[in-house]
Amino acid sequence: MPPIVQVNDLKKRYGEIEAVRGVSFFVQPGEVFGLLGPNGAGKTTTVEILEGLRRADGGSATVAGVDVFRDPSGVKRRIGVQLQASAFPDHLTARETVRFFAACYDLVVDELALLRTVELEERANQPQDKLSGGQRQRLSIATALVNQPQVLFLDEPTTGLDPQARRNLWELIRSIQARGTTVFLTTHYLDEAEILCDRVAIMEQGNIVALDAPRKLIDDLLARGFTKPVLQQKANLEDVFLDLTGHELREQ
Amino acid sequence: MRQTLRLFGLLLRGYLRDRTALFFSLVVPLMLMVIFGYLNLGDFGRVSIAVDDQAKNQSSRQLVEILRRIDTLIVTEQTTDAALTHLKRTELDMLVVIPGDFVVAPARPGQPVPQLVVYGDDARAQQVAVGRQIIAQVIDRLSFAVTQTAPVVVVKDETVQGVRLRYVDFLVPGILGVNIMQLAIFSVAFALVADKQRGVLRRIMATPVRVTSLLAAHVMTRLVIAAGQVGVLLLVALILFNVTIIGGLAPLIVVALLGTILFLTIGFALAGWATSENQVPAIAQLITLPQFFFSGVFFSKNAAPELIRPVTNILPLTLLNDALREISVQGATLWDVRTQILGLLIWTLAGFILAVRLFRFEKF
Repeated sequence: MPPIVQVNDLKKRYGEIEAVRGVSFFVQPGEVFGLLGPNGAGKTTTVEILEGLRRADGGSATVAGVDVFRDPSGVKRRIGVQLQASAFPDHLTARETVRFFAACYDLVVDELALLRTVELEERANQPQDKLSGGQRQRLSIATALVNQPQVLFLDEPTTGLDPQARRNLWELIRSIQARGTTVFLTTHYLDEAEILCDRVAIMEQGNIVALDAPRKLIDDLLARGFTKPVLQQKANLEDVFLDLTGHELREQ
Repeated sequence: MRQTLRLFGLLLRGYLRDRTALFFSLVVPLMLMVIFGYLNLGDFGRVSIAVDDQAKNQSSRQLVEILRRIDTLIVTEQTTDAALTHLKRTELDMLVVIPGDFVVAPARPGQPVPQLVVYGDDARAQQVAVGRQIIAQVIDRLSFAVTQTAPVVVVKDETVQGVRLRYVDFLVPGILGVNIMQLAIFSVAFALVADKQRGVLRRIMATPVRVTSLLAAHVMTRLVIAAGQVGVLLLVALILFNVTIIGGLAPLIVVALLGTILFLTIGFALAGWATSENQVPAIAQLITLPQFFFSGVFFSKNAAPELIRPVTNILPLTLLNDALREISVQGATLWDVRTQILGLLIWTLAGFILAVRLFRFEKF
């Protein structure tokens, strides 16, 4: 199968700063692909170019068979996005929010069914701004699924969520992958990448410095003779936290 | 079109749930109208006049009675001393002293003509001038009735409109105009800059939505709200103040909608330019405040200093208020106010060009 995302020598600069310096990679259909890196590494810029939101300065990119530079609108029709630091229109309920985005795609969808897939059906008539952080992220994913996208872009989906909500979102992402949707996510939580992603690319100062399956990257590191200075604990503080507070999702 | 209507429906629903926005678009304008309507600033245009009738004969009583019947005058009887004190405190505009020998009779040679003494408040020169003119006319008529000779000087009667027009009739079109301006500019600028800052527009632009649909949905939402606002204001004006709209509702609403579209373009231009919500009130006030004062909302547009009148006379709100007022008060037709309508269209074009240059959905 041909790659569903294909990026060649992508470049983007903002004035003096070279945010993306000639990045190339591809994403296979059906996989969860992670783009990792510290803040300012160029992850969001790269993703926003692929989403048709920013113009690149050089290189080429196709998403779902569409040239991003030539037909950004065609790309937008085929993908779903969750942006970092974005919000929904004011004073709408969860259900109306989904309807609003369906209207943006000029589609009519079963809003309640979509909300059900993100476990928000019982919140359908609640104002979206009264939802908790985790619920809002799930609503955000519901709005990204209205057009049954071939690729779902998630930009730091679990930032700011409590451990229960993060785990809940991981399960949701897995279930979306299980339905055949390719997931492209950025994160700076490495445990998240290790658990969720089939392959990860690590970005640093506008370049991709490593790209492979997480297990393979770890094995390569160990093969180079790396050892952790501290012996791996059998449990960590997060395990304690979850043991004491449970895996149940908290909703106020 | 279907997309526009669906987006419009949802945006309108959201707008109607926004208590703050509703308060500013309905309650505040109503308060403004009711307060100013009851304050009846129009009384400032009437002349308060005291009469000290020292003659107390048939002629003098006749004179006082005629003065009392003139709407423009507020007549009280006071002694000269008391009235002069009130005059000095500007509680009175004028004092007329009717001398003891006052009589309206054909003048006889060698006999002095009775003299009315009129005191006027310097600070209220306009009112005093009007008062003097009225008294002169009344005297002329009294003499005419007695002498059966034509008065030496004929004064043209210019009180036809001034007397019938109440302040609230003048006020209502002005209130409509100013609220159309405020609603269109503020509701667009605040809402869209907030959407821009919070990333709502970015999220929407990540969908393949047609920008024209989204824009049209926003414009339609405001037009509906503006129409509702105009409707409520007119209803209250009709019920509470018994205002008559001589020119009829249809031309009034057409002009009101033209005005809304004009100020919406300015709102969009402002929303495009501003990068944070804090900038909006400052610039919006800068645009609206001069028009608030100089465009004939509460007072005649001629209250503006003469030096700047060439400018204030072509401000968007002045044109809008002029057109609304001529329709409402003078019964003008749309054709009669074509100059103002042309002016509004020119401003709309200018605002549209500015909005297109400054506002780019794609930017977010």
